[in-house]
Amino acid sequence: MRKLSASVWKEILLVLHDKVGLLLMYLMPLLLVFIITIVQNSAFQIVNENKLTVLISNQDKGSLGDSLVKALVHSGSFDIKRNNSLVEASVKRRTIDEDAMLGIYIPANFSERLGDNADNISKLMLEQMGVIEKAPKVSPKKQEIAIYFDPVVQENFRISVLNGIQAITNGIENEEMVSKLFQEMGYDSIPANIRQAIINRETKLKTANASLSTVAELIPNSSQHNVPAWSIFAMFFMVISLGGNIVKERLSGSFLRLQTIPTAFALTLVSKFLVYLFVALSQLLLLFLMGIYIFPHIGLPQLAMPNAFLPFLVVTLLSAVSAISYAVLVGTYAKTQEQANGFGAISIIIFAAIGGIWVPNFIMPDYMQTIGNISPLKWCLEGYYTLFLKNGAWSELMGTISFLFLFTVICQLLIFIRLRIQNYI
Amino acid sequence: MQETLLHVSKVYKSYHKSTTPSLDGVDFTIARGEIVGIFGPNGAGKTTLISILCSILDPTLGSVTYYLDGEKSPREIRSKLGFVPQDFSFFPELTANQNLEYFGSLYDIKRADLAQKIDDLLQKVGLSHVKNSKVSTFSGGMKRRLNLIISLLHDPVILFLDEPTVGVDVQSKIAIMNLLQELNRQGTTIIYTSHHLKEAEEFCNQIILIDHGKMIACNTLANLLATHQVTNLEDLILKLTGTVLRD
Repeated sequence: MRKLSASVWKEILLVLHDKVGLLLMYLMPLLLVFIITIVQNSAFQIVNENKLTVLISNQDKGSLGDSLVKALVHSGSFDIKRNNSLVEASVKRRTIDEDAMLGIYIPANFSERLGDNADNISKLMLEQMGVIEKAPKVSPKKQEIAIYFDPVVQENFRISVLNGIQAITNGIENEEMVSKLFQEMGYDSIPANIRQAIINRETKLKTANASLSTVAELIPNSSQHNVPAWSIFAMFFMVISLGGNIVKERLSGSFLRLQTIPTAFALTLVSKFLVYLFVALSQLLLLFLMGIYIFPHIGLPQLAMPNAFLPFLVVTLLSAVSAISYAVLVGTYAKTQEQANGFGAISIIIFAAIGGIWVPNFIMPDYMQTIGNISPLKWCLEGYYTLFLKNGAWSELMGTISFLFLFTVICQLLIFIRLRIQNYI
Repeated sequence: MQETLLHVSKVYKSYHKSTTPSLDGVDFTIARGEIVGIFGPNGAGKTTLISILCSILDPTLGSVTYYLDGEKSPREIRSKLGFVPQDFSFFPELTANQNLEYFGSLYDIKRADLAQKIDDLLQKVGLSHVKNSKVSTFSGGMKRRLNLIISLLHDPVILFLDEPTVGVDVQSKIAIMNLLQELNRQGTTIIYTSHHLKEAEEFCNQIILIDHGKMIACNTLANLLATHQVTNLEDLILKLTGTVLRD
């Protein structure tokens, strides 16, 4: 026991003396979680809370262009800047000049073409129903509203905006079509009760988060996503400190001296393991405390801890043990400290990328999702998402627990083989 | 007749990637209380031999037998051995005292005894005043002295030293050699390698010469000089191993 306590104390002193390592292990993750949560939260707010500035040039000679603009204003998602003096080429240019996220150019014949198309469809419908004998053959006229995006707007954001605008134009087209239908049947316009019924028929969407549990729902937000994800990244990044530390001791001859001392070499590894387990758990504790107590004071969503505490503890411990095992593995096989640091850091970045820490795993191509299964970070993240976002418990965590256990066993086995070959054990 | 402490019997060591063996049938006996110098050109097999004697490496063939009182298991034998590697094998980030406490604890020395032992050894090598200073601030000579005394904390019966005075000033060299001679007077058997041949001539009473993994001489210095009709150790080594440069 005395040997173990001396060995653990030595490791603690070495960790405390490694100022750069301490910064990497504690300060870097805090900054990383802090900055990325703020950035993602801002993006979330832009989409959901802030209005997008839209520059519109409405050249339409009829009334439907105005209807479209009114519908955009009514949606509440857009801050409209009108400038009807702009030709299409100018809209393209002024969108950037006026700091608009997008520019919309409604052509002069918008109402005319939309009306002609609606008229044509309504006649075809009446012909089909036998109300009129023969509808005139008219080929549909191409309808074009030009939309110019600021180049900095990302693709997924563009798609959301286009879908929104498309829904509004579809509504206008449908209304125009029904209106034409009634006109063909001798009405001046759509009867008021039918118009009201059309408005009332809009399908209301009730949204809620899927959950694996019936207990209090955890609200997905930038904190729930980022704090667990980047905590895992930070934990695995200890490879720089621990892996480098092992190589340094091996090259300096300390391991050599230990081979001549009547003490099991495993004692050194066990003491490193215990100290770095404390480091990993304290990293997580700090990051979670920041999410719980500091985030709300700076306008970020508060981190809500999972309801299933014991599964959370098991996933956390297994993640920490996997991270330490990987760091020791890198330190055992690397020939130089530079090799351990370089390979360790790059491999963790790759594991993080394919494991879904940076971008969600589900948006990757199938083959990347398959490759991602080899990343321990993917399984740690899946475990945390199950706990932090889906409110899951034991049964949903079996995949995570099995993989992390297997990963740890393989790492330990490879460490044993290497140390055995080198005659350390 | 001197009491045998160590017998090396037909030790052969080969590595996977090497076509020639590092040690090829090395065979000698060392008596208790001797100071034995192992010499030879670079790559001759000195470090491999010391590593096998310290149980860092296992021989491919042959055996090493220690005749120690009652100690039979490898762990018990290790507790009687001291090894001073050529590289500084301690933690420069820690203080001298923290290093000594750590290594002393691994030898299971009682806390009070260890504190006393640390003070004695630091005083003997002139490092008492830097007991609580970080080792990274030490000069080369101070580090070399610390490297030595870490291996003396448990009062080893047999002490192995790989180039204990390499790269140190004359003052540190004298301090180290004086301490080693004092230890030998107290009964410690010393086996060491060095390229300081003048120092070795004065220090060793037994010489083992190795080249290409084979032991080519093993006797007292006086007998070897007489047999090969040379006047000093350097000439003896040159006569037996040649002047061709080694890689």
